[in-house]
Amino acid sequence: MIAWLVRRLAAALAIVFAVVTFTFFLMHLAPGQPLLPGAEAPVDPAIVAELRHQFGLDRPLFVQYGKYLTALAHGNFGESFALHRSVADALREAVPNTLVLTATALSIDLLLGFALGIYQATHARRMPDIGLGFVTLFLYSVPTFWLGLVVLLVFGEWLRWFPVGGMVDPALHYALPWIGRAGDRLWHLALPALTLGLVGAAGTARYQRAAMLEVLGQDFVRTARAKGLSERRVVLVHALRNALLSFITLAGLSLPFLLTGAVLVETVFAWPGMGRLAADAVFRRDYPVVMAVTIGASVMVVLGNLLADVLYHVADPRIRVSGG
Amino acid sequence: MPLLRSAFAILCMGALATCAPPTAGCSGDYCGTVIFASIGEPETLLPPLVESSVARDVSDQVFLKLADLGPATNTIGDEGFTPMLAQRWEWRGRQELIFHLDPRARWQDGKPVTAGDVAFTFGAYTDAKVNSPFKSSLHWISSVTASDSLTAVFQFQRRYPEMFYDAVYHMRILPAHLLRDVPRAEWKSAAFGRAPVGDGPYRFVSWKAGETLELAADSTFFLGRPYIRRLIWRITPDLQVAVTGLVAGEDDAVEMLVSPDNIRRARAAPQLAIHPYKGATYGYLGFNLTARGNRKQPHPLFGDRDVRRALAMAVDRKRLVESLFGPYAQVPPGPMSQIWWIWSLDTRPLPFDTLEAARILTRRGWVDSNKDGIRDRHGQTLSFSLLVPTTSAVRRGYARLIQEQLRPLGVEVRIDEVDFSVFVQRAQAGEFDALLQTWNTDPTPSSGIAQTWTRAGIGSSNYGHYVNPAFDRLVAEASSTTSQAVARRDWRAAMEIINQDAPAIFLFATTNVAAVHRRIENVTLQPDSWWASLRTWRIPATRLIDRDRVAGGGGR
Repeated sequence: MIAWLVRRLAAALAIVFAVVTFTFFLMHLAPGQPLLPGAEAPVDPAIVAELRHQFGLDRPLFVQYGKYLTALAHGNFGESFALHRSVADALREAVPNTLVLTATALSIDLLLGFALGIYQATHARRMPDIGLGFVTLFLYSVPTFWLGLVVLLVFGEWLRWFPVGGMVDPALHYALPWIGRAGDRLWHLALPALTLGLVGAAGTARYQRAAMLEVLGQDFVRTARAKGLSERRVVLVHALRNALLSFITLAGLSLPFLLTGAVLVETVFAWPGMGRLAADAVFRRDYPVVMAVTIGASVMVVLGNLLADVLYHVADPRIRVSGG
Repeated sequence: MPLLRSAFAILCMGALATCAPPTAGCSGDYCGTVIFASIGEPETLLPPLVESSVARDVSDQVFLKLADLGPATNTIGDEGFTPMLAQRWEWRGRQELIFHLDPRARWQDGKPVTAGDVAFTFGAYTDAKVNSPFKSSLHWISSVTASDSLTAVFQFQRRYPEMFYDAVYHMRILPAHLLRDVPRAEWKSAAFGRAPVGDGPYRFVSWKAGETLELAADSTFFLGRPYIRRLIWRITPDLQVAVTGLVAGEDDAVEMLVSPDNIRRARAAPQLAIHPYKGATYGYLGFNLTARGNRKQPHPLFGDRDVRRALAMAVDRKRLVESLFGPYAQVPPGPMSQIWWIWSLDTRPLPFDTLEAARILTRRGWVDSNKDGIRDRHGQTLSFSLLVPTTSAVRRGYARLIQEQLRPLGVEVRIDEVDFSVFVQRAQAGEFDALLQTWNTDPTPSSGIAQTWTRAGIGSSNYGHYVNPAFDRLVAEASSTTSQAVARRDWRAAMEIINQDAPAIFLFATTNVAAVHRRIENVTLQPDSWWASLRTWRIPATRLIDRDRVAGGGGR
């Protein structure tokens, strides 16, 4: 197990290194130019040239790459071109916000998707299954940002049940008692987390339904029923454990999708997370921030998959991790 | 189900607790919280390094200039300027300007503002290590010294009409005692830029990256206590999100609604009042006068002045403005924004005359010889690409309408949409045939026109490489004369030349439209610095809402 873990960690490191290299050259070779003024105002080229010199952008690309890797090896992500602060400081504030959003969305995704999938499988080809099938297919098909905009329009602007953006009420939050502050945070979290979570849950439900249906048709399930076990026990104990493998795989794969979705949802709901930081940085060609966010996202994805592999083993001891 | 019920109960409790009005709080004339929906986030609040408009908005509440432009935005001489840090000023000889500081002025840590701070500020703004974008605007000031603690002396290298404007407008005075020990090369990321101490009507409270930035009124401000107690900028990623927050009642003000659709949304919100004011932006279709990607050769189409004139005459600019802006823009009489004092010049832009345009093109040999609907000459079609940034809905709209307006004339326009960063890169490199460009101008035509339309702007912002020595001479003369009448005459002649040369089709000069919550009174907006008069805004005690009354500053 330990040897397997070491091998997987080494592979993860190699993947992250490859991502760093690929992203670095892609960003620098892509058209567009960093260090532009924020507004469209005439700018003195001498000032831009001085800035390019300060950030080392006037040096050959491989020299820049070497310097970047050296700094990265020392845990230094560099200075943002646009934010006038270190990238580490910017990430320190943005990452927890994204984790709160994605963790909540992931919980909604997995719990709701899992429950719906089981429900649909046990009511297969009946009205509830068909109805939920339509709903999940619809949610799975719509772009996340579109769903976000609709939810924002209906529940934020028209009904005014939920705030339209931000993490807290900027004027009232700190004047509230602790329960109010907690409620305020949940209230602001509701729409973005639901948007992100519902799209994921729709996919999870469809996978889980298929996996459960396959398991429910197997001999050991028929045997369990023949033994006189209750349907609840047959489904939740015998069938579910066997359908769990696909669920775990799915959970590992959900993370990249959630992170991609977070870029759009954070923009629509003005959520100050990593996704919004990345989107702004890409548009402004803020290379150090783009690099750092890419590294952070790739580490999270690689670790998520590693965790899924470990859980896979726990759920089904027949799978030998030493085999890869 | 019990789990769902619990979750819902928590949400409801949170919502109730949030909505519940604070039991105690502020009442009277000096309460009020104004939340601005800000598009983007300041890069720093240290004035010499401020670039974005939101950073300028915030830092202008914290730091003072020596004097400010008046409502007429006159930049010539010192007429109409409002005293700020400087109580009064006097001219000594032709090139010396003396400011007498207001002895009541204090930094927010209690120290007095001195002439030494003014001298220190000039040193910082002009220091290459700081690399301030305002440095070039100060190049005619040779020195700033303190003759005593309240008297600052400006020496100029020459006499010119905008000496006073240059002395007061670009610099916000900085606290030398707090910044002297910070290495200049590190100012860009200095902690002071994220938690400044100033001398303005508001003091810094907090800045939560990507979320909010909060200021609180300085009740001891020497020019008068601000009525609004708290200012909060809620940072949003784009205008649509900002307008949604405003319409939903979560925010109180947006300085520019930009599109007629946003203006319609804001008008429909009963709590909002609409405030139009002069805009600092103008936009145009600029021709590249040099060959695409080769600055040494003339452009095969736009190197010909007659072709440019014909295209300018074939575009119905008035209709375009009405279609895309409604009443909130005008066709400019040349390359100028509405805030410039030369706006009212009686110039004659080329008329909208498609028949004459067609005649010119035919005379120049451009005819549709193969009957495919596009004119051609010597095997070359009258076809060009129009570079447009994807970030601007207005310019994308313009591109499509211009494409349609030129089609009947036998001119093919291929729209080339690229992201903003690529747009600027290609504009600077000359890799375009024509582009749709806008400029946000500062209050004076002198620097903006020179940088974008004269030989001095080549390699900088004169992307089309338009050069006409007669135009350059008139701009130089208009910028150096001390007589406003002579300047007006020269600017008018210069604009006549550029309109006749048609290096661009000048399409629109915007009228900005702000939306502000109706409970706020005495709202005025300054075209060059929107929220400059904020300290005089007020919310009557009878109109206070929960967020106005809430006790204490937030954002901890």
